[in-house]
Amino acid sequence: MATTTATITLTSSDIADNSISISNTATLTKAGSTTGLDQTSGLRKRTLASESTVKLIDLDHYQDQVLTENTAAKVYIKNTGTSTAQHVAVGIRQGTGSALEEIGWLYGGDWMFFPYSAVWTSAAHANNQDIDVTPSNTESVTLEYMVIYE
Amino acid sequence: MATTTATLTLASTDLLSDSLSLSSTSTLYDAGTTTGLTQYDSGRVKIPGDNNIYVLLDSTAAAVDKGNRVYVANKNTDENHYVIISIDEAVLGRLYGGDWMFIPWSQADATANLEIKAPSEVNEIEYVIFHEGKTFTGA
Repeated sequence: MATTTATITLTSSDIADNSISISNTATLTKAGSTTGLDQTSGLRKRTLASESTVKLIDLDHYQDQVLTENTAAKVYIKNTGTSTAQHVAVGIRQGTGSALEEIGWLYGGDWMFFPYSAVWTSAAHANNQDIDVTPSNTESVTLEYMVIYE
Repeated sequence: MATTTATLTLASTDLLSDSLSLSSTSTLYDAGTTTGLTQYDSGRVKIPGDNNIYVLLDSTAAAVDKGNRVYVANKNTDENHYVIISIDEAVLGRLYGGDWMFIPWSQADATANLEIKAPSEVNEIEYVIFHEGKTFTGA
């Protein structure tokens, strides 16, 4: 089995009267198990240059695999740019008509790391939990991303 | 303004044939600026294991399309325990005991609450939201 750790450190010396320092390390294991997650997309990179919504993680064409759904997969996405004027909206599709639920905006330098249920329902994408991204303008922006799963 | 940073380190020596060592640091700014976020709320709560969806963080009008960031950690230690995290009933995933998550949360509309559900066991959850402001409820 593989051993993969994800550590977050949140620090601020001046957001409050006393400093904030939060550190937490998660060992990425399979659902309900102490066995490590052992599959990954690897670190991937995608450059966008339009305001169109794009499927960053397309469950119907995911490396010719069907991810094991409702387990302990994790997703990492980073906006590698430096712009504070442009953001990339990250959303997750599911529900009636594959509605897109916006999660949040990644400005240049921002990253996110979250658990991913990765539910695949149909080749027509109906209710699939695809991860979509939408740049806020047409400037070129590059995202790095990775899925770690079982 | 305040300076708050969030650093992620992903590491593994055996997930791939070569070692994985990824580190990323972001400074938490107000949306579209280089002004640091100046407000935060935090807490530790026990989520009942009754399979009901609860609002962990309420979307508020003042925070819509702002630079909000959310950290959530499941402090249970049993690997079988988990909570399901969703936004407006759109599921993101399962946060197992020992797991954490960190996301930007744009609170796209008034119903874009950050929700949590524990199917069967009580789960202790820590959270922090860094934000630009929120709408207060009148007394």
